[in-house]
Amino acid sequence: MLKNYIKVAWKVLLRRRFFTFISLFGISFTLMVLVVASSLFDHTFGPQMPERDTDRLLFVNQMREFSEEGYSSSGPPSYYFLDRHVRTLKSPEEVSINSVFYQVNSYVNNRKLAIDIKYTDREFWDILEFNFLQGRAFSRQEVESASRVAVINENTRKQYFGTGEAIGQYIEVDQVKYKVVGVVENVPVLRVQSYADVWVPITLKSQDFNKPGLRGSYFATIKAKNSGDVPKIKAEYAAMMQELERQHSKDRSQLYSFPDTFLESIARTFLNNGKEPGVGLLYVLLGGLAFLFMLLPTINLVNINISRIMERSSEIGVRKAFGATSSTIIGQFLIENIFLTLLGGLLGFALSAAVLWLINDSGIIIYANLGLNLRVFAMGLVLCLVFGLISGVLPAYRMSRLHAVEALKGGSK
Amino acid sequence: MIRHLFKLIWNRKKSNFLLITEIFFCFLVLFAVLSFIFYNVRNYTKPLGFKHESVWLLTMRPSTDSAALNHQNLEQVIQRVRAFDEVNHASLTTSNAPFAFSRMNTFLSYSKVKELVADEYHVQQDFKDVMQLQVSQGRWFGPQDDATHHVPIVINGKLKQQLFGEEDAVGKVFPKNDTINYQVVGVLDHYRASSEFSAEEPAFFERINLSESNTSFWSELLIRVKPGTGVAFEEKMVREISGISKDWTLEVSTLEKMRQSKSKLTLIPMIALGLVCGFLILNVALGLFGVLWYNISRRNGEIGLRRALGAASTQIYWQFIGEVLVLATFGLLLGVFFAVQFPLLQVFQVESEVYFTALLCAVGIIYLLTALCAFYPSRQAAAILPATALHEE
Repeated sequence: MLKNYIKVAWKVLLRRRFFTFISLFGISFTLMVLVVASSLFDHTFGPQMPERDTDRLLFVNQMREFSEEGYSSSGPPSYYFLDRHVRTLKSPEEVSINSVFYQVNSYVNNRKLAIDIKYTDREFWDILEFNFLQGRAFSRQEVESASRVAVINENTRKQYFGTGEAIGQYIEVDQVKYKVVGVVENVPVLRVQSYADVWVPITLKSQDFNKPGLRGSYFATIKAKNSGDVPKIKAEYAAMMQELERQHSKDRSQLYSFPDTFLESIARTFLNNGKEPGVGLLYVLLGGLAFLFMLLPTINLVNINISRIMERSSEIGVRKAFGATSSTIIGQFLIENIFLTLLGGLLGFALSAAVLWLINDSGIIIYANLGLNLRVFAMGLVLCLVFGLISGVLPAYRMSRLHAVEALKGGSK
Repeated sequence: MIRHLFKLIWNRKKSNFLLITEIFFCFLVLFAVLSFIFYNVRNYTKPLGFKHESVWLLTMRPSTDSAALNHQNLEQVIQRVRAFDEVNHASLTTSNAPFAFSRMNTFLSYSKVKELVADEYHVQQDFKDVMQLQVSQGRWFGPQDDATHHVPIVINGKLKQQLFGEEDAVGKVFPKNDTINYQVVGVLDHYRASSEFSAEEPAFFERINLSESNTSFWSELLIRVKPGTGVAFEEKMVREISGISKDWTLEVSTLEKMRQSKSKLTLIPMIALGLVCGFLILNVALGLFGVLWYNISRRNGEIGLRRALGAASTQIYWQFIGEVLVLATFGLLLGVFFAVQFPLLQVFQVESEVYFTALLCAVGIIYLLTALCAFYPSRQAAAILPATALHEE
């Protein structure tokens, strides 16, 4: 039966080429925009190099202080706080402390390079999975002795050394010479927790280590033993914060800091900054936006579908006269419509592949490497089906209500 | 004729309902995107009030906590920078330099105006020459401000207008806090530093007096260099400064680069929105064209009858164009009803003019679009010969 429906659908598509073109154009472009958006979303929040085990990784990047008078201030936490209170947590497998990235200058052959530098410890390289093209990460010993060694990304290597050998060479960044020990693949800037052009040992910043105060310019990256341990870590962290709040109760009334997955931290920053991260709300908002965007193409498709189906009223009349029920007819039209949207979806995927390639190539997002993967493909497929169902229901319903006699005469107005 | 058309559409309201909703949503999307674009373009065409070409921004991040030492180094750095042949002028500034991402706000009150939010800039005397400002009333800061009773400030035109209205601003005194007063010494016509696409906000300048205290520190230095000075000098300058300041982290950027990255923040969403909107409109136009073509071709019998009764082909032609325009009018009436709320309720603090221009343009585009979509089907309808049409029936 399904095979028959699809055969009929294909014939109908070929009969009215212009209508088919309009429908396919609308469907494929709508899906293209949505697939590009899903790809951006996946690129930002999904598991990507270097943060592959997203369900085991937690990040600490905010410390909010509320004073009695109602003032609040927030920013990255200090090394002092992270070292004393976060590194000592029992439940995580490993904790890394790393600085935010700073933009510094470097001059090569009368050219200026603006380079983002990040100070990290040894654990950083164990927790995150960078793709090393050459060399290695700096060792625990090099961190302890504050050696001037650096891991650089592919782009910096190209800028500095062209095609030549980089390992063992020196690069001068911000008037300081570092020995290159490793080269890694570029990390996209959207991964703010790990992104940099050059990574150097955190001990080179040791003047920051003993500055008291809770706010500074450091992040912590926490790895759980397994994803089931994440709630345990959050609970231990919350208890630690409560204890800290008690110690500081003289000068600050409330302290907020949470270990968040990346999505949670973004949702928290944009939505409420409260106790709850608000991931659900974020999904609802994104879903709402996608729905609003799909609304216009859907109405358009419904319109076209109604015209297309009206043309086939005599066919429906015959089927009704031979005893087909309304639900069979609705089913047939829905299947036809889903078939059409899936065709449009295929085109949409091809188009989005081209657009993603353009975005990567244009360098709008630094080191972006947007692509289609299984997750994006699945999201796109779901969107296709929803789109096909919504735009097919109303026309099919209208048609199924026609009386056989009227339909045979050529449909109502 | 027009009443007749309205009646025709009204009688088929059920089947025209979807077309009307489509036009309605299409109008809303157009209105929103056009408002956004017009708002930005309008701001872009207004004067910035300063010249940013060949101005560099040096950011200094000291690594030690000793404020006295940092202050001492800072004085030496400024002296050294000003001594370079390639440098015309240099001025310290707070972190809210032109096109920077940071802002500083404060509340100002004067007689009836309470708690007006204004951007606060702290700059040195040389700032006027660095940014080539034009003082239109009063004067810029000078050495005479070293020992004044009130804190001297220079304000921009927007602040003057919002705080003092038509009154003369120069010489006005109003409270900074419980103990200190501000005194206006000069007015700039315009100063709009945050981005080329943002609206002008009330702003005022306070003077930095480096020798007042020996622990004060500002981390940003604006430098106007001779035109054509390149990266070779930048490297030399950074080397010499790091010789003075030891472990400071130094960062040099040009205002031109900062302008570009700031304008990207508006341009990229604007282009993306424009493209998505363009696609939606094209999509709707194609759909509309298809549906109209189909609808009109189903009315062959009616056309044949009218032609047989003596209607000219141009009459048929205008009837169909008219019908589609009436249809568009229904959708637009609904859309305009919602869109007009924006200027009436002053949503988003945008000038009503922007909304009204966007509204008119959106209405115009929709009419044009629907007329274009109806053009080809109507011409085909008009070309039908009565004999063939009636024969078909």
